[in-house]
Amino acid sequence: MKILIATSSVPFIRGGAEILANNLRDAIAAAGHEAELVSIPFKHYPPERIADHMLACRLLDLTETCGVRIDRVIALKFPAYLIAHPNKVIWLLHQHRTAYELWDHPRAGDLIHGPDGPVIRDAIRQADRELIPEAKAIFTLSENVSGRLRRFSGIDSEPLYNPPAHAQLFYKGPTGDYLFFPSRITGVKRQWLAIRALAQCRERVRLRFAGEADSPMQQAECDNAVRELKLTDRVEWLGRVSEEQKRDLYANCLGVVFPPVDEDYGYVTLEALLSSKPVITCSDSGGSLEFVVDRQTGLVAQPTPESLAQAMDTLWTDRQRAAVMGEAGRARYEDLKISWENVVEKLLC
Amino acid sequence: MPQSHGLRVLIATVQVPFVRGGAEILAEGLCRALVEAGHRAEIVAIPFKWYPPERILDQMLACRLLDLSETFEVPVDRLIGLKFPAYLIPHPRKVIWMIHQHRQAYDLWQHPLNDLDRYPNGDDVRGAIVRADTELIPQARGVFTISRNVALRMQRYCSLRGTPLYHPPQGAGLFYTCPAEDFLYFPSRINPLKRQDLVLEALSKTRSKIRVCFSGAADEPGFARTFATLAQQNGFEKRVEWLGAVSEEKKRDLYARSLGVLFPPIDEDYGYITLEAMLAQKPVITCTDSGGPLEFVVQRETGIVAEPTPEALAAAMDELWEDRDTAKRWGSAGRQRYADLHIDWGNVMEKLLQ
Repeated sequence: MKILIATSSVPFIRGGAEILANNLRDAIAAAGHEAELVSIPFKHYPPERIADHMLACRLLDLTETCGVRIDRVIALKFPAYLIAHPNKVIWLLHQHRTAYELWDHPRAGDLIHGPDGPVIRDAIRQADRELIPEAKAIFTLSENVSGRLRRFSGIDSEPLYNPPAHAQLFYKGPTGDYLFFPSRITGVKRQWLAIRALAQCRERVRLRFAGEADSPMQQAECDNAVRELKLTDRVEWLGRVSEEQKRDLYANCLGVVFPPVDEDYGYVTLEALLSSKPVITCSDSGGSLEFVVDRQTGLVAQPTPESLAQAMDTLWTDRQRAAVMGEAGRARYEDLKISWENVVEKLLC
Repeated sequence: MPQSHGLRVLIATVQVPFVRGGAEILAEGLCRALVEAGHRAEIVAIPFKWYPPERILDQMLACRLLDLSETFEVPVDRLIGLKFPAYLIPHPRKVIWMIHQHRQAYDLWQHPLNDLDRYPNGDDVRGAIVRADTELIPQARGVFTISRNVALRMQRYCSLRGTPLYHPPQGAGLFYTCPAEDFLYFPSRINPLKRQDLVLEALSKTRSKIRVCFSGAADEPGFARTFATLAQQNGFEKRVEWLGAVSEEKKRDLYARSLGVLFPPIDEDYGYITLEAMLAQKPVITCTDSGGPLEFVVQRETGIVAEPTPEALAAAMDELWEDRDTAKRWGSAGRQRYADLHIDWGNVMEKLLQ
């Protein structure tokens, strides 16, 4: 079969969605099909630009190429999943979140601030309600994304989990004396919450961050907080690290801190499970809650500095228990049977 | 963290899914050159389907709706538009380096290989394309073309000026030469516009028993059989060989060992083959209507420019076959001409970013 993977992307930004699209392409090719990516550039501001890009997607024609039929389009992201195709399957990574659950979020909300925001929000919601059901089948990245789609758009879908890149290369090292927080440095990942929690810890917990900041401002905010709270000797910013370094950092940590706001899915959780490490996450973190079983494979804290601090102290003081929870996490990953073969089979059936 | 040095450059082109050709190689070559020069560069490819004709209008509009001016409030310093309709994407700091316009609306209109003119709305769509090009191309800060041929077409049909800006073929540094063996080489995608059929016809009219080696993937799947039948009918199975798609290494080897290179396409935009032949120090036989190659082949100094007839092509082939010394001399002169033209990515980037 000839299969196109339709997605949208912001030029110069590479994140989980881009990695997932590439991995999906490779997995489809490995199953003996021809697969190629189509990536529509997307800019989400000012709000009316969103409407322009939605229309642009509706104007594209992926039915054939040089007279040869495209057998299937697998659409991943807004607004690319609006592209029409008679044989389209949606594997929804997420809808345009600031038109939905992040609409009035104090940090993440953006549409709400523009004069045209409400109009554009409604246009996005209407397009999703009417056009997503055009697809032959609708899968999502996670239970969390399925839940939002049902709640906001009244559309049913099936969660379809995928493994992180190079899943087989993660390994378990000795239990170390630092907590690890790997993520893009940006508001919704809540590095700032982890820093405030650290200031509340009874123990001298050490925290290492890896990942690039979306903007120099984001990094500066974090740096300032660390300085003001006098945590300089307990916090380390590693910036962008190689995949190999990242795996080593997972393997040798005490546990992983991952408290984002309503994450769609969250490879970080899965990578922690693969490395046999317990995960500290929050009750509003979304996707990670599908994998972290409280007090069995990690700790689910309230999204407050105090509660997060308590969870961090718990791991810090009871290393034995941390190791046991890490082992249980690895077992849980195995039980879930997460594989690309399974993903491809579902998307092509 | 954004890099503190270098520019953020986007290359806008089109994507015809599952088809790779010269345009993709060019876009990737440019992107690589920019990254190596310390810039951040990415390719933005908009899917394009040109039939039925109204789809062209849809996709022109889609391009006009896209916004590549900045990402997360950091400006995109330069947009380089390569192909229709992607070069219509608006941008305050856009330059166009035109690979070609939509040729079916211009030089290929009413050409036997065209299909736009066969639709009832073909004429209207053609009008819209010409209007869009004429009005929107001049919005760019600079308009360059990949060859003089492309610039001349744009001048003829849209009265717009473009500056030719040549670039090297892929792996330019890896070409070499060897003593000539007994074959002429015709490397090209197998396609009616490249006129492999004209060479087969010419072969039946040569004095000498000239041998020709073809390489390149065929656009249509049944070509291998067609080729064999044609060769057999004409009684020259032993004089022609079609290798299909070959590796870059094999291609360079074939260039190096050939006596000369055949490249007689119809109105080629640019033509890497001419440049590759020059790098391999081989004379080129091309035709008076071949377009791009005529910017590089100097008649009877670096090759032969023949009329596009079997007879004229046959005469040119015989001449190279029978006078190996001249062939060798023209080949060396071609290499010198390549050097004189300063064809390198550094020059291309300087012009596109100035």
